[in-house]
Amino acid sequence: MLRPGRMIRGMEETPAAPGPEHKEADPHAFNPKVTRFRVRGLNAYYGAKQVLFDVQMDIGAGEITAMIGPSGCGKSTFLRNLNRINETVSGARTEGEILLDDQNIMRMDVSALRRRVGMVFQRPNPFPKSIFDNVAYGLRINGYKKNLSESVEHSLRRAALWEEVKDQLHKSATALSGGQQQRLCIARALAVDPEVLLLDEPCSALDPVTTAKIEELLVQLKQTCTIVIVTHNMQQAARVSDFTAFLLEGRLIEYQATPKLFTNPADPRTEAYITGRFG
Amino acid sequence: MKFRHFMAALGSTVAAVLLIIVAFLGVYAWPAMRLNGFHFLFENSWNLGGLYANPITVHGQQILPGAHYGILFLIVGTVLSTAIAVALAVPVGVGAAIFLAEAVPQAARRWFSFFVELLAAIPSVVFGLWGYVVVIPFLGHHVFPFMAKWIGFVPFFGGSTGSGYGLLTSGLVLTLMIVPLITATLRDALVSQPEMLREGAIALGASRFETLRTVLLPGVRRTLIGSTILATGRALGETMAVLMISGNALNYLPQNIYAPISTMASFIVSQLDSALQDPTGMAVRSLAEVALVLCLISIVVNSFARLLIRFSGEQVRVTP
Amino acid sequence: MSTVSGNESAAAFPGAAGRAFGRRFWDFAGWSICGLAFVLLGGAMLWIMAMVLLRGFHALTIEVLTHVTEGYAGGLLNAIEGTLILGVGGILLALPPGLAAGIYMAEFDNGRLAPTIRFLADVLVGVPSIVIGYFGYVTMVVAFGWKFSVAAGSIALAIISLPYICRTTEMAIRQVPRSLREAAYALGASEGQVATGVYLPVALPGVLTGVLLALAISVGETAPLLYTAGWSNYLWTGHLTNEPVGYLTYAIWAFITEPFAGAHALAYAAALLVTVFVLIISILSRLFVK
Repeated sequence: MLRPGRMIRGMEETPAAPGPEHKEADPHAFNPKVTRFRVRGLNAYYGAKQVLFDVQMDIGAGEITAMIGPSGCGKSTFLRNLNRINETVSGARTEGEILLDDQNIMRMDVSALRRRVGMVFQRPNPFPKSIFDNVAYGLRINGYKKNLSESVEHSLRRAALWEEVKDQLHKSATALSGGQQQRLCIARALAVDPEVLLLDEPCSALDPVTTAKIEELLVQLKQTCTIVIVTHNMQQAARVSDFTAFLLEGRLIEYQATPKLFTNPADPRTEAYITGRFG
Repeated sequence: MKFRHFMAALGSTVAAVLLIIVAFLGVYAWPAMRLNGFHFLFENSWNLGGLYANPITVHGQQILPGAHYGILFLIVGTVLSTAIAVALAVPVGVGAAIFLAEAVPQAARRWFSFFVELLAAIPSVVFGLWGYVVVIPFLGHHVFPFMAKWIGFVPFFGGSTGSGYGLLTSGLVLTLMIVPLITATLRDALVSQPEMLREGAIALGASRFETLRTVLLPGVRRTLIGSTILATGRALGETMAVLMISGNALNYLPQNIYAPISTMASFIVSQLDSALQDPTGMAVRSLAEVALVLCLISIVVNSFARLLIRFSGEQVRVTP
Repeated sequence: MSTVSGNESAAAFPGAAGRAFGRRFWDFAGWSICGLAFVLLGGAMLWIMAMVLLRGFHALTIEVLTHVTEGYAGGLLNAIEGTLILGVGGILLALPPGLAAGIYMAEFDNGRLAPTIRFLADVLVGVPSIVIGYFGYVTMVVAFGWKFSVAAGSIALAIISLPYICRTTEMAIRQVPRSLREAAYALGASEGQVATGVYLPVALPGVLTGVLLALAISVGETAPLLYTAGWSNYLWTGHLTNEPVGYLTYAIWAFITEPFAGAHALAYAAALLVTVFVLIISILSRLFVK
């Protein structure tokens, strides 16, 4: 079962978090720290089918927020709305308001938004280019004005991949192992120095050892980056995140500090999910 | 006999045919090859000789006095017209492929693509008819004089514009005939690129066109090169359309881009009647030598293209 | 640090407030060029079709369809008949080896023979049809003494059709699921029985597509037939050798260069017939594929 020591790890590394356990029964616990994303009244549709119902959430800066829930509950859809990549799916429609640092993301230039809010996907998807060109891609596309090599090295270090590939930067990215490819994708996303990093089940295609490496990486990264991670692995959510949101059938059921959600959930449905009664 | 052996034997005919063609042409053209030597490829003189004189013997072959065969002008005509066609077909083909793969909604894609592929189905002689009846007057009276006047300072674009028959016209019509090959193959390749690659680029802030330009197109590079080479092969061998619009030059090289030319393929057709006049048969054999050269060139080009495509792991359709 | 304000890193990227004008411009230019390319092709296609349909329509009278050619006037009956005979003849000759090759490459592909056939077939596709025609002239018309004939013409067309038939057959057979064959073999069927009873019937639509494709190409060919079938103003009397035949594509080429309006009319009429026929076949064969 979940060991208290491991669960509170997120809290230990965040100094002086002003008591997230004050609002017990309120599923939309407001975080008095700097808020990165403010989501209000989010409804999402695929064609005629509604997949998100009136979701409201505040995502805090410098934290790792996990989204859990059974398959099809809408957590990926929610994530994909945060960087508007959902718009590339035909028939997808979103209503409601999402504010990034008080700017409505629907009114922002979408390219600029995506530079600030990066994404890592479920399966590693490196471009058929060299390792260097993969990491440099975002920089080149967005017209980066400074030194490319330095940035590439910096990103690869942040993704804990530099030591393994520093001598083979011009080798094809597809020659790397699965775990290395995923870290490359993280480096690629980090290269443009995003404020937020979205991860959609990033470890589901990877083995446990690699998964542990990536989880460590995320905990390091949150010092410079806000992280939102969708996962169907509850232990992962418990290990890594500061806050957890539980979605069920398109609705936000509970949103709490992680230790609280996993030891003393406010909603019976949350409890049923985390104890494995369904999903 | 076991079924599979019977199939193998019968099926090997397909393989044998190609080898037989090269062999027979080679044997038949051998006397001409002995006569003409390597000069065949480097001289501009196709001359049947004195048709009413008595045959003499040169290099061990019976020929008419004064007969001399050199096809440099044919090689130049073939290479130049093909070069123009390919140079124009690649950008147009890539542009159309991008349009079909990315800009057309999924549901309409089949019909739009079909429309372009129909261009490939039109017979060569109909292209020739259209060229002869419609394009040549149009280009000769309106476009070429205009071009020579305004951009005549560019080398080969100035000078006499002739009547519309010639190198540029051939190149333009050839372009239309070979573009569908490039477009169809490239469109299929683009469509089959995984969605994940597109999403990865878009998540980094690239627009759809930027994704195409920087991620998707580089990913289909080998297919593009392979289909371009196949298209080149097709252009090299085009006969009827070129025959009807090229002006059928004999023994001279084009001075500018509007001048008449002949290609190896069109020459074989246009010269048969005259060649039959030669009682020694050397003219016909020399034509066979032209056919052999053309055959070998196309075999080399096509083999190269097929091998290239095979090593990229892509599948290319056999449609014309 | 990005956690606090998040906008310092944005300074390293130009046009951070909105996407740089330059990027938007090149996107627009890019899509426009692609659209233009498509319009050019579509436009050319429409122009050709317009010419063929409009001029051909005027020229296609009942007389043209029912009379034979008399010099540079008359009708196209002999040409229509010749095209059909040569086309069908070519397909009939190409089917046995083409089918056999396709079956062999799909079913018995272990060893070197199948890849060799495949490669040589692919190369054969690219050999100019005039070369095949000249080959036919040298061997059949001259050496065998057949002169211009249905036999020579059909064989030339058969050679041209072979690679299309064998490759489409191979692909069609490969699409039939393995399990069907295995079930038949397990019941003791011989290779021949499995072929005729199991996968050939299932692969038939694909094979037919190849046949239609080859037919469309045969109907449109001119150069090889000039060297093997010659031309005739009369209907075919049934001789396979020593008798030339007419065919529509000859009329298109030969008559348009003559200074007679009557000849031109025949050329347009022939072009209309050939083009419409080829288009119908192309449409049909695409409807067959899924």
